Amino acid sequence: MKRLLFIIVGLIFILLLVGVWAYFLFFGTPNPPEGEGIFSNFNFGNTTDPTVTIPEVIETEDQLITDVASPESLRQLTTTPVAGYQEVLSDGDVRSVRYIEAGTGHIFSIDLVSGLTERVSATTIPLATKGVMTKDGQYALILSNSGAQADFIVGEIIPENETLRNFALPDYATSFAVTDSDEFVYTTPNGSELIAKAYNPDTNELRTLFTIPFREATIRWNNTTAGPHVVYPHASSRLEGYVYTYTNGQVTRQAASGYGLSAVGSEDKLLYSAQFDNEYTTIIQDMGTFKAVASPLTVVPEKCSFITVDPTIAVCGITLTEYSHLMPDVWYQGNMIMNDTLWEMDTQTESATLLVNPESATGRQLDIVGLQFSTNDRNLYFQNKLDQTLWVYEYLPTIESIITDSE
Amino acid sequence: MLQRILLVCITFSVPFLVSAQLDLLGISNPEIGITLSPSYPSPGEVVTASLDDYAGGVFGAQINWSYNGEPILDATNERQIQFIASSAGVESIIEAELILAQGGSQIIRESIRPVFMDIIIEPQTRVPDWYLGRALPSLGAQVNATVLLNDGSFINPQNVVYTWRLNKNVLEGGPVRGGNQMAFSTPRGRSMVLSVTAADTAGEVIASRLILVNAVTPELAFYEKHTLYGQRQLPIDGQTSVIGNVLTLKAEPFFLDTRVYNNPDVSEWEINRQSTDNGIQNPYEITLQRGATSGQTLVNFHVRSLQEVLQGAEEAIVVNF
Repeated sequence: MKRLLFIIVGLIFILLLVGVWAYFLFFGTPNPPEGEGIFSNFNFGNTTDPTVTIPEVIETEDQLITDVASPESLRQLTTTPVAGYQEVLSDGDVRSVRYIEAGTGHIFSIDLVSGLTERVSATTIPLATKGVMTKDGQYALILSNSGAQADFIVGEIIPENETLRNFALPDYATSFAVTDSDEFVYTTPNGSELIAKAYNPDTNELRTLFTIPFREATIRWNNTTAGPHVVYPHASSRLEGYVYTYTNGQVTRQAASGYGLSAVGSEDKLLYSAQFDNEYTTIIQDMGTFKAVASPLTVVPEKCSFITVDPTIAVCGITLTEYSHLMPDVWYQGNMIMNDTLWEMDTQTESATLLVNPESATGRQLDIVGLQFSTNDRNLYFQNKLDQTLWVYEYLPTIESIITDSE
Repeated sequence: MLQRILLVCITFSVPFLVSAQLDLLGISNPEIGITLSPSYPSPGEVVTASLDDYAGGVFGAQINWSYNGEPILDATNERQIQFIASSAGVESIIEAELILAQGGSQIIRESIRPVFMDIIIEPQTRVPDWYLGRALPSLGAQVNATVLLNDGSFINPQNVVYTWRLNKNVLEGGPVRGGNQMAFSTPRGRSMVLSVTAADTAGEVIASRLILVNAVTPELAFYEKHTLYGQRQLPIDGQTSVIGNVLTLKAEPFFLDTRVYNNPDVSEWEINRQSTDNGIQNPYEITLQRGATSGQTLVNFHVRSLQEVLQGAEEAIVVNF
């Protein structure tokens, strides 16, 4: 009797299980969200237990995030080498910085509010080593390869399909830059001279700006095609150099000369360094009166840039050290590595103010090159020569005080 | 008799002929004059004006100096004064008025029109494209030199006659009109003296300068070359390591004559002192592959001209793998 009862109960239980299985098979299959497994969510609902910490889900969708929200004024924007960069304005507000990745020539955009990094051009420019972009972010001029194999690519960025509609610049460029009016300016050899030209990628107009009567020239381009553009023979501690400025095509020989001479200038002031009595020294010179005074700090002019709203103030990466009598050659060759701090130089009052010490702030040693201010001087972008990475320093607080003073 | 008379005439006329030649050459000095140092100052340069008196006529005289008509009060009775040369192309006059002890006065005047005279040296030696500095001359390498005269704007070189001297040797056989550019080979020695005198077509000197140009020996440095990023701009300091499977090295002979660089007689890579073929067309690159075992190797590169043996460089580094 007992045995029969067990068999009947067992059969009923088995039938119930088969019924449940059949129900789930045909009607009860969970409908999980896309991308999740059937049993990854048991739909228990949100917990009301306040001690449970639910981690916030960040939907990255495989995109890079750059830290732009941290309170530090100095930040590293890229971990890869860059060939060029430009802050891009939209409706008068700073929105993003675009950079050209070295080696590939791919162009990325970092949203300065959200920190989101997206690629805007996936067109590969092999061995891209240097590039500039217009301030509207639409066009780029990129140097690919070097020497006799060098190509100068002008490209229009098409963000919709991540491409660069490009063509080669008709000339070999020894130096190039971009102006505030979104024109590319460059120099090209012509016999024993260099011809400076301006190319407007919007209108395709090409015009000659001025002629430099020698070839081994370094040009510190002004933000405008009119100038003044500062020109000097490539610096060497063993050869004498001279400074010329070109404004509206007219040349002015500045009263600046010396061995190892290199310079940077604004509309009002010239900052140059050279060897005087075997000592690397920096001089501040007034462009109009040629009056010259010694700078409070010795700077390498390649590490300086004048701000845009005040032509008497420059910001420089400075290493406080005894400089070799072979400067700047040893630094050019990479035999001297600098550990720079960022300084603001007031050429009017001949004073200097420390802005930030990168090593203290970030723990990184920076050999600062390629300083470039945003249009409103809010941000200062530069590269670390050691790894070619892109950095930004927020310069806005200082510039606000200057504007207030001048008003 | 006629012969004797002729001989006497010729004999007595010789001193007059010599005297006439001296006058023509302008060797005879003025008795009193102002000498400037430097003779052809640059704009804004400090100039020393000295009153030269070869006849003693200044003795006891009061000397009053003036510059562009303005008296220099604290320079009274000074034989030597200093002043700043005017701007480029602007003529200025320095005057010394001598009020003689025996009565009367004399004015000595000198004018200055400073111009910038820049001599730009462009040696045709090898430096890499990314190098911001200028190439330097090495023995036998060609040097291009350009003179730029500026008196507020560049002076048209076609209106100027240039005389170039290299270590006292006049180049191009003499003055050359419009010859503001010159090419020459770097002579032997650690330095060379290059001087240029620029004169107008009438022969009046506009400016003159002399510079010392130091010659160097070519230097070799090794750089890592990345397939994606190209050549690194920081040289390898003594030793390096193979990260990954391969390492491409670029030997960069700074200041090697470009003709030798493009067509070297000797370009040899050695690994552990064994000559090796780098396997590619570019003689300045070599790619090293990691072996089965770890260790280190000595990599040596040598480039040289056999015609000019000092045109060459050799260097070695240690590679860990």
